[in-house]
Amino acid sequence: MTAAVRCDGIVQIYRTRELEVVALRDVDLVIDPGETVALLGPSGAGKSTLLWLMAGLLRPSAGRLRLNGSDVSRLSPRALDRMRAADIGVVLQNPSRNLIPYATPAQNVAFAQRAARPDRRRVAELLDRVGLGGNRHPHAGRMSGGEQQRLAVAVALANAPRLLLADEPTSQLDAASGEAVIDLIKETAVETSSTVVVVTHDPVVSEALGRTITIRDGRVGTEGRHGEDFVVIGREGAVQLPPEFHELLPPGTMARIEPLADGVVLRRAEPGDDGDETRRAGR
Amino acid sequence: MRGWGLTLRGLWERRTLSLIVLVVALVPVATASVGPIFAESAGTEIVRTTLAESTPDERGWRFTAPHSGVPAQAARFAAGGSFLHPPIKGMELLSPEATSLTKYPLMWQDGQCEHVTLLVGRCPAAAGEIMVSRAAGFPLGHRVRVTGVIERPKPDGKSRPAPLQVVGVYHAPNPGDPFWFGRNLFAQSAGFTEGNGDPLFTVPATRESTVVNGATWTDAATVVIDATRITAADLPRLAELDASAQQLANADTETIVFSGLAGPLGELRSQTASLGVPALLVIAQLVGLGWLLLFLTVSDLVTARGPEIALARLRGHGRLRVWRFGLAEPLVLLAVALPAGLALGLALASAMAGALLTVAVPVTVTGQSVLAGAAVLLGGVVAAGLAARNVAVRPVTEEWRRTPRRTARGWIIDAVILAVTGLGLAELLTTGIITENSGQQAGALAVPGLLAVAAALLSCRFLPSLARRLFGPTRRAGGIGVFLALRQIARGPATAGSLIVLGTAFGLATFATAAWSVTSANFERVARIHNGADAVLITRTESVADFRKAVERADPSGVRAAPVLVLPGPPKMLATDPARFAHVANWDRPAASLTGRLGADVAPRVTLTGDRFRLRIHPVEIPKYWEVRMFADLRVPGEATVKSIPLGAPDRAMLEWGLPPACRTAPCELRGLRGDVSYLSGADMDEHPLLAIEATEVATRSGGRWRAIDAGLTDPDRWRGTGSAGADGLTLDMAAFTATKMIPATYPEELPALVNSLTGNDFTPGLDQAYLVRQAPVPVGPAVPGLDVPGGVVDLELADRVAFAIHPKAEFQVWVAPGHLAAVRDGLLAQGLPVYEPRLMSGLVARYSSQGPGLALMLLLMAAIAAAVLALGRAVLALYSAARQRGYELAALEAAGARTPALRSALLLEQLIILCAGMLAGVTSGVVAAWAALPRIPEFVVPPITPPLLYEPSLPLLAAVTGGALLAALVAAAVTAEILLRGVRPDRLRGAPG
Repeated sequence: MTAAVRCDGIVQIYRTRELEVVALRDVDLVIDPGETVALLGPSGAGKSTLLWLMAGLLRPSAGRLRLNGSDVSRLSPRALDRMRAADIGVVLQNPSRNLIPYATPAQNVAFAQRAARPDRRRVAELLDRVGLGGNRHPHAGRMSGGEQQRLAVAVALANAPRLLLADEPTSQLDAASGEAVIDLIKETAVETSSTVVVVTHDPVVSEALGRTITIRDGRVGTEGRHGEDFVVIGREGAVQLPPEFHELLPPGTMARIEPLADGVVLRRAEPGDDGDETRRAGR
Repeated sequence: MRGWGLTLRGLWERRTLSLIVLVVALVPVATASVGPIFAESAGTEIVRTTLAESTPDERGWRFTAPHSGVPAQAARFAAGGSFLHPPIKGMELLSPEATSLTKYPLMWQDGQCEHVTLLVGRCPAAAGEIMVSRAAGFPLGHRVRVTGVIERPKPDGKSRPAPLQVVGVYHAPNPGDPFWFGRNLFAQSAGFTEGNGDPLFTVPATRESTVVNGATWTDAATVVIDATRITAADLPRLAELDASAQQLANADTETIVFSGLAGPLGELRSQTASLGVPALLVIAQLVGLGWLLLFLTVSDLVTARGPEIALARLRGHGRLRVWRFGLAEPLVLLAVALPAGLALGLALASAMAGALLTVAVPVTVTGQSVLAGAAVLLGGVVAAGLAARNVAVRPVTEEWRRTPRRTARGWIIDAVILAVTGLGLAELLTTGIITENSGQQAGALAVPGLLAVAAALLSCRFLPSLARRLFGPTRRAGGIGVFLALRQIARGPATAGSLIVLGTAFGLATFATAAWSVTSANFERVARIHNGADAVLITRTESVADFRKAVERADPSGVRAAPVLVLPGPPKMLATDPARFAHVANWDRPAASLTGRLGADVAPRVTLTGDRFRLRIHPVEIPKYWEVRMFADLRVPGEATVKSIPLGAPDRAMLEWGLPPACRTAPCELRGLRGDVSYLSGADMDEHPLLAIEATEVATRSGGRWRAIDAGLTDPDRWRGTGSAGADGLTLDMAAFTATKMIPATYPEELPALVNSLTGNDFTPGLDQAYLVRQAPVPVGPAVPGLDVPGGVVDLELADRVAFAIHPKAEFQVWVAPGHLAAVRDGLLAQGLPVYEPRLMSGLVARYSSQGPGLALMLLLMAAIAAAVLALGRAVLALYSAARQRGYELAALEAAGARTPALRSALLLEQLIILCAGMLAGVTSGVVAAWAALPRIPEFVVPPITPPLLYEPSLPLLAAVTGGALLAALVAAAVTAEILLRGVRPDRLRGAPG
């Protein structure tokens, strides 16, 4: 089965006049079709960058990114546009950024369809689904934040995308509105078998999705499935300890690696400890 | 439709910015298009006024041939131009009246009765009926017989002159009426009775009912140009028609075409050609300035749409669709701006035409004006394209960055513009000529624009750098307000755009103001001198005496009109009545004291009327082998030169000879008595006896009786020459090898002349251009009213006494003081004199203004001021936007304890420094451009030789413009700072910057 998203050693570097910023380093990630994934991580970790890469808005500085089997680096700008028009829906962080403020809800949804297949019936269906059906709604700019975000989801779904990407879709909503938006995304994923990737800080959102991926310092740190978190071994064998373990192994601590049959154990190495016991155990 | 709806909604969403773009686009379109529109109207005015001021024969063609095909030929010809009147058909036959033998034209001209004033009777309507002039003297009912038209042969075979019955008497019309094509038809009414009578108007039926006898009917057709319909665009067609008329005459040997159109046509070509180059240069600069403004403003509009364009790209819209989406709003605005700007340009041009043009001419949108407007908008389209490209090409994610990346402004374009400016200025200063091929230095008009851009570029580099250098001192002692202002200026981006726009626009505005103040003053100065008086009427009389009398009758007050006989030069000579001239002429100097220097004490003229002249002398014994002859020199009416009559040898007491026929009816003037000696073979050349011939009486015979003339022969003051006057009479001393001549001292030996320059010519041309007398020049400075070339003003009476005739090229002008034109004109017309359209000083100023150079400078002024206002608005808006983007920074400063007055002073100072710096750069470049370029820029189509032009701009005007601009900047800065401060609240810091 072709993965919806496959990242192989993705590196993303932002260059400015003064300096270079490495936003992502050696990210390996596979997301299967129909998966719902929450991208977690602290601010500046590289979540949004990864999302923008998946949306085909950036090309990776190094590594390979495949979306539904297509190598993004090798796609022409026109092909990328076609891919975004046909297969990708994006919900940006700020609700108002997703919308043309002076257009009606229907016009906003239709605007997102215009690059692919205009479908008025789908526009009406989507608006009904997000509770914005009928012609009674004012221009998008005059709607409440919750309404705008629901409309943003409808806009992102306008082209029936195979990959729905959402950046903090609930960050500026109250709990009820946020819940409604997440339910909407989940329902859509189930109904259309879409793959969903949501960048969020909100535990409620991450718990609602099937898989969590935590990005730290530009790397995939941990993954969570069915309520359990796993660290991910990086390309050079690097492991990022989740913050809750920093108390046991604070940054800068020396540790011993103790091999086991199905893996290794990390133990803090105390000053003066020569490590013979460990070495023996290793033999 | 949905896309259009979205575009229109977007425009409404950004209505303030959209309105600004629309205004910024509309005004340059209007100012760029007004030039071609007005130029076309001005060209039409030039064509119409030139034709109106031309003599009737210069306004059309007269076709004549001894066959009846002429009307058809003329009709075909007239169909070739929509600006031509239908042909005026006519026919005529010249034949002597049977009894007096005076030659009368028997003629018919279609519509003749509407062009004469019927005094008694009616117009001829049937064969054999005629209408005669009052001067002809035939009473109503009289039967006139001309020898050339005889009755149809009777059965007895005898043919007699056909009787033409007088049914009406008319008053001779104004010969200036184009209907008569300038022909001298009414000589009898004008007082010339020698052999020619006024026309006998009849009807075509007379020709059919009679036969000719030794004469020929000539068919004629006159095609007249309708000066109220012709436009500048018709000029090429007019030239073609004139050429085809000549070809017609060449092709048909019997057809003769009369026309003086070639003269006005040549003048029109040179005048209308002068409209092009300077106006084009100015329009080019306006287009450039419009581009600059549009570029910045349209870029703002497209940038404001950045998030939406990014959204379109996010949704996968194709490149073409993204471009269309990004360009839709600016293009809609630019598309609206074109017709709206053209409409505004049309309105402005109409207003200008109403104010500046002396005749009503159509004002219409021309192809060139549409091109000029479209050229302006092209800058906006390019700007929209570049801005849309930037937004469409850069990574979409850049749109969502909180701190956009800064891009450094390159030096390359600046360096190129500075280099071009430097080269242009160097060339201007060293050679005085900017490369161009159409005469004068119209290329110098490009300098202000270059200088303004260069100064603006330099200032936008210099000011941030200066601000950075002042950081230190202000940080230590200037307070936070000054420090913040300087720091923001030093950052650069908002500063640079505003400085460039302000500097360029104000540079051009300052130059345009200076140029206009200089030019309009020069127009006024030149028009005052060239026209001579407020209004000038042109007429024609037969003699100076008639001329003077006509003016005296038209203006009995003596202070409203002056007769001025103009002899074209150079040296040009104006002969006038000094007292009247002093009241009427445009002269700032104490004219009366100057014109008082034109007079001289002279003897009365010796006039002779009669058929015979006699000189009584004391006879002398003539030496052997001498042949001595005496002559009397006369000035005879109608003769161009001196007329000498031989009086024979002075060995008799009475020397007599017949006077020329003209002296029988009009006074002749005795202009000298002279004698000369011839030697017969055998004469003793060594003997040199002296003969003294004493004349004691001059007499003329009239009606068979001799009458002595008061010639003052005994008065030494009344004669001068190689003899003397004394108690015994006038003695002419005659020696061997010498001629003797005594002339009446009716004019001074040196004719006083007020001259505008010393021409090096000792002799004054005289009314007959015979250069008979030396002049006594009275230099009165370079500007003398009426003199557009080197020349002088002399006393008309004295000039007439010197001359033997009036040169055909002499122009009889009547100068009129302000407010009395109608009265004087009516007074001249009432005397039956032809009076042509007046030449007004205001008309001359308007003419200068509407010619190429004047028009160009006026357009520059209008457009540059409009651009300066737009630039100021645009700069204030840009500064406002830049400051608003720093709202969080200001809020943070306030939260950190910075007081509101300090923030206010920071904002106010920042805006004031930038606005003032931009204006200062502009004003400086404008003044420098005025100093460098004004003397080189053409102000007139033909640079005047005199008076000298002045190039000092009006300082109060410049100060008023600069002061007004600074005040506007101050108010704008204060208002903007206050508005910005109201939006600065620390609670804004709680929200994310978006």
